Amino acid sequence: MVKSRYFYCLFLMNSLINIINFVPRELMDRRFDGALMSILIAVPIGTTFVYVFTKLMDKFPGKGIPEIFNSLMPRLVSTPMLLVYAVLWYVAGVITLLSFVDITLRFISPDTGAYPVVIGFLILVCLCCRVDGLSLLYGLEVILGITLPLILYASVKALANPNFSWDSVLQIVTFIWHKPDIKSMAAGTFLFSGYINLAIFNRLFHKIKLRHVWLIAVEGLLVLLMTFLVPIGYFGTIGVERHVYTWFSTADSIRIETFLIERMLFIFYFAYMTLSVMSVIVHWHVGLELFKSIMPFADKNSSKAKLWKEWIILGLFCVATLLLMFMDQYELNQLAEWFLQIRWLGEMSMIATLFYCVIKMRKARRRNP
Amino acid sequence: MSEQPQKHAASLEWITEKLDNIADLEDKRLLAPAGDARLVFIKSITDSVKISHGIIAPFYEMEDNEAYKDYIRTYPGSEEATTGERALELLLSGYAAVAILDQLYFFDVLHAENSAVSETITESVTQGPSDGFTENLAINLNMVRRRYQSSQLKMESMLIGNLSRTKMAILYDESRVNYDVLAEVKEKLQTLRVDILQATGELEKYLSSDKLRIFPKTIVTERPDRVVFNLSEGKVALMMDTTGYAIVLPSIFNDFFTAMDDKIQFPFVGRFLKFLRVIGVAMTLWLPALYVAFTSYNPEIIRVQIALLVAGSRATVPYPSFVEVLIMLIMMEFLTEASIRLPRAIGPTATTVGGLILGQAATQAGLVGNIMIILVSAVAISNFLIPLNMMSFSVRVLKYFFVIAAAFLGLVGVVSCLVGLMIYLCSQRSFGQPYFRLFFMDNISFRKFKKGGGTDG
Repeated sequence: MVKSRYFYCLFLMNSLINIINFVPRELMDRRFDGALMSILIAVPIGTTFVYVFTKLMDKFPGKGIPEIFNSLMPRLVSTPMLLVYAVLWYVAGVITLLSFVDITLRFISPDTGAYPVVIGFLILVCLCCRVDGLSLLYGLEVILGITLPLILYASVKALANPNFSWDSVLQIVTFIWHKPDIKSMAAGTFLFSGYINLAIFNRLFHKIKLRHVWLIAVEGLLVLLMTFLVPIGYFGTIGVERHVYTWFSTADSIRIETFLIERMLFIFYFAYMTLSVMSVIVHWHVGLELFKSIMPFADKNSSKAKLWKEWIILGLFCVATLLLMFMDQYELNQLAEWFLQIRWLGEMSMIATLFYCVIKMRKARRRNP
Repeated sequence: MSEQPQKHAASLEWITEKLDNIADLEDKRLLAPAGDARLVFIKSITDSVKISHGIIAPFYEMEDNEAYKDYIRTYPGSEEATTGERALELLLSGYAAVAILDQLYFFDVLHAENSAVSETITESVTQGPSDGFTENLAINLNMVRRRYQSSQLKMESMLIGNLSRTKMAILYDESRVNYDVLAEVKEKLQTLRVDILQATGELEKYLSSDKLRIFPKTIVTERPDRVVFNLSEGKVALMMDTTGYAIVLPSIFNDFFTAMDDKIQFPFVGRFLKFLRVIGVAMTLWLPALYVAFTSYNPEIIRVQIALLVAGSRATVPYPSFVEVLIMLIMMEFLTEASIRLPRAIGPTATTVGGLILGQAATQAGLVGNIMIILVSAVAISNFLIPLNMMSFSVRVLKYFFVIAAAFLGLVGVVSCLVGLMIYLCSQRSFGQPYFRLFFMDNISFRKFKKGGGTDG
């Protein structure tokens, strides 16, 4: 049993990682067509999702989604559902990973070559995501402890810059009264979807005390506004559309006058690399657990069979990642866009299914108390 | 003498037959008007003064044998053995056997050669107690008991090692100890099958099952005050006869960065010292790797001036930076290793030859850059900031992983290695307790500060 604060860590991780997962790109594309309104709507929707999902999972203390689904639904229904979720989680990880490889090649080491970098990442991630969930939560907290101060520093530095154009920001704010856009809303809610990792990590939580739900909303709103508005302040309302990794270009525009490292980009890169590797590890850990739960010989408990199973799944993960390396930047962006929307549908369907499960469990309990 | 293969009745004939060919076995017959007795002991591990005062003199002073028998039987520490095996064991552990009126009694006359309580060698502090554990378990227990005067301090003893029969004490505070840990330790000790056990470090190795581990999970210490402090935190201490070190478990990562003088210093000074150690570890792990990353892969990260400076100092160096780093690091390891083994008289030679000549000449010859030399010395010094030896050795090994990762992938490799290390540390458990996580977060979220009760001190 772990403390509730690790739940906030999961949430925080996802909300900070949005920069890597093409959320700013989505919002920028619709900056004149209701992105800001979508942000304002996404915040309450996202917060409600967090609240409802944790409340529902609270009904199943110490159980993950596979156990819940398999015990309350016929196997024919639960297995395909779990498979879809497993793939979704895998894709969440792979988008972060691939876009980070791309960022690394573009900003940090253009002469290293894509394959050494991606193989290095894959080795690290595969070794780490087999670690048990509790250790991952501890690790996540440590890594947030390292990166959060750096990210805060970068944000303060970004806002305090005299060259930051508040006029552009104000100009974008005038587009607020525009009808919201479904794609931007899907992107905006991504910040809140850290809670969904509870699908597996709920095995470790027994009673989540969700205090200060408003904090989640405020944090989400602030991060979303930062994500959306700061690049506009740097590149202007039109210039911002020319950058693929908007935030990395923004960080590259900030200079630290008094430090060994002069460009903010590298500090930002360091923080985000640790964080995004960690998020890939967490996502793939969940994906791995979901895949394991639907593998046909799932109930064999010998440690050797378990080990083989894990490595076969991880091998598939790696092969698929290497195949996806053939995508160019545009296609990766497309994939991310689809993922952001499908993920939202997935979250809704998971909450709906959980509702059904809770009702069914109550009925069963009433019948034989 | 009985013919049973397992249990032999305790008789002197059987014992002397078993102890055939032991030159220092004494077998004396005591004759007095009042009666006679037989005395058997091993000369080399017994105290002759104790024997003459406690056994022989009373024999001639007593009026009759019956009174003498009562005297021997009731003397503190004397024992009556029923089986031959037990008798043999007692005799070998420093008891004298007295046969009187067909009865066999064992009288404790152990003479233990040990050094007197001396100063600590490996864990010195500036202020505070400087007495270290000795090779005698009784003296060590005395040092602990004197500092921990509580009835809650429990001690259990057992014997380990088929041949060495090492006496071992398990100490814990009954009201604070984690009983899961205690049970696990006891179970591990009871199932331990070894012939010889001579050092606490050896025991540490047997206690943990993981063969690939890098980090120590138990503290091996020679300071009684550290043992006492840890006992008060609910940890278990294992102490062994014949070695001047104790094991404290379970130990978490932070424990290895706590020196005993942190308690003596003012809170802020203590925090600062601890912070220094963390920086030291970060430097010793990172500096060589970052040097490789910055010179070979990402010179644009650091300021132009620094990048030029490094490049300038490396202008004559004929090989890539990771070769340079590895050569210098290994030279430094040679120096540290050599200075441990060298006799004290020629110790300074190593420092002179290594430090001055090697450093100077290598840069002048153009084999390594000047900055490299500065960096290697910084690494070497900062590595020894860690108060406990075991951990500083682990860190010493670990930095090579970072260098290799940096050689392959540059900054990306260094950061990956950092993440990997964090996850590895977090996945470790010391006797079921998490080894590494942000322990101070527990204090913040609950606003519960216990004096001397926290895990990270």
